[in-house]
Amino acid sequence: MNQSKKIFCDITKCIACRTCELACAVEHSTTKDLFLAMLERPRPRKRTFVHFVERNVSHSIACQHCEDAPCIEACMSSCISKDEKTGKVDIDRSRCVACWMCVMSCPFGIISREIDDKNKAVKCDLCPDRECPACVDACPTKTLSYETRDEFLKRIKEKETVYAKK
Amino acid sequence: MRKNNVYVIIGNSASGLAAIESIRRIDKSSKIINISKEPHQPYSRCLLSYYLAGQYDRDILWIRPDDYYSKFGVEPLLNKAVTGIDIKAGIVEISNKKKIAFDKLLIATGASAKSIDIPGADKKGVFVLRTLEDADGILKMLPNVKRVCILGGGLIGMRAAYALKKRGTAVHVIVKSDHIFSQMLDSEAADIMRRHLEANGIDISTGLEAKEITGKGSVKGIVLDDGNQLDCELVIIGKGVSANLDIVKSKVKTNAGILVDEHLETDKKGIYAAGDVAQAYDILEERTNMNQIWPIAIRQGKIAGLNMAGEDTKYDGSYGMNSLDFFDLAVMSFGLVKPKGDEFEELIAIDTNRVLYRKIVLKGNRIVGGVLINDVERHGILLNLALQKIDISDIKDILIDEYFDFGKVIPLIKRQSRKFIRPEYRDTAEAYQNV
Repeated sequence: MNQSKKIFCDITKCIACRTCELACAVEHSTTKDLFLAMLERPRPRKRTFVHFVERNVSHSIACQHCEDAPCIEACMSSCISKDEKTGKVDIDRSRCVACWMCVMSCPFGIISREIDDKNKAVKCDLCPDRECPACVDACPTKTLSYETRDEFLKRIKEKETVYAKK
Repeated sequence: MRKNNVYVIIGNSASGLAAIESIRRIDKSSKIINISKEPHQPYSRCLLSYYLAGQYDRDILWIRPDDYYSKFGVEPLLNKAVTGIDIKAGIVEISNKKKIAFDKLLIATGASAKSIDIPGADKKGVFVLRTLEDADGILKMLPNVKRVCILGGGLIGMRAAYALKKRGTAVHVIVKSDHIFSQMLDSEAADIMRRHLEANGIDISTGLEAKEITGKGSVKGIVLDDGNQLDCELVIIGKGVSANLDIVKSKVKTNAGILVDEHLETDKKGIYAAGDVAQAYDILEERTNMNQIWPIAIRQGKIAGLNMAGEDTKYDGSYGMNSLDFFDLAVMSFGLVKPKGDEFEELIAIDTNRVLYRKIVLKGNRIVGGVLINDVERHGILLNLALQKIDISDIKDILIDEYFDFGKVIPLIKRQSRKFIRPEYRDTAEAYQNV
């Protein structure tokens, strides 16, 4: 069982406010201040995305740090690796040559091309400077959580049974 | 108790390395011997054009740490060509007549660049771009080169053209077919890319072929089949690659490559093949096919290694895909891009002003191919829908829509949960049913 923590999304709670996107971009800016970050060039880039699933239903998604990550196999400079302990999939940007093989193979489409800054692939890094990723801390409806898969699935299941009783 | 095996792996590029690493994950003690005819530590030949372009140092090529072989407990036999294989006796013979016994053998000999058979093809200044020596040789000549002629408008030819243009050399690409990237792209996408490359100063001539390379000792120009001549001091041949089959021909079953089953095993037990030399079943084209690309080589090496070490693992099959980025215009494609037959349907969206192009090829209710220019972030979503044979009829209308994203896939995950194998798919869709 994979007990490493990652970001999960409870679709029922998402209101598409995009606070996660904003918090992500600010966290990955140089100044880490919303108003100053807006003036930075290259512009700080978000690594999490709010999508509409259907009318009035949305979710927020970033890198899933896959157990068997296709981006790692695809990378022709071997600059993407998975930390066996934390489960985190990381890009060594010093070795990225912008071949976009990772973009080409990501099942979730959440790796972006940073074109301003010498062309590098960018994706969620789980906020290495923080205990809990910025998007999760910022989410006003507690849609996003930072936990293990078991914890998340259990929580969603419990919620279902509570609803069923009602 | 596991028997202590001797694993011999021929080739130290993508699939050879992936095999070593997956064998070692399971079997920590057995002997692994890695033979390579190249003298170098493992490097990524896909990065050669980036090195050639001068965008990155030579250091970028080394894709494994210096102590890689000792760290993985592998005996490297570099700069050694395999001269013979005796499958029955389980012996590989290398260039100094040395014999090496094996229990499990992986043939990951890769492929070589095709050369051309025209007068003058042996002159100084005619290159292919496949090995580090090729790239270094080109770079050495470059100071005295005013113009380069590239023969072939495929992936390697164009990558070389782009690299040398970045170095400031004049580049002229001669393409036999009517379109560049005739294997990778449909003609509409190829024309968009051609206009972009030409606008950035790369000369391209299609429907033409070189019939002679002129010059005394070294290249002075080429003669085209329409009679015209082009002056150049360097010629790079980009006519594709062919599998390195010499050492195994008539010993294992081959076609264009070594035929492998769903365990990456050849028709001989204990002999495996992976990477550019292997010919496996293609999921999207539904036939055995040569898919000589890095990700497939890694995957095949990984699975072959697991099977060699006794972990019964099935290979899902291969597929074609490619990604290019020239002068900040990205293009990607996968699977069937130029389908022939009534059973296929094409969804196409073009926006010439913003240089956007999206095409998806359907066979019945599933995706079997696609081409994307600029809007490439969705490529992986579409590719994975195709590979898992997902019925996309519910989202067919929005597949090529500008606003298509992963969110639109979530209802499909719920409805076809058995086909979406990755646990991460479940993670993203688990809460959806409550809505």
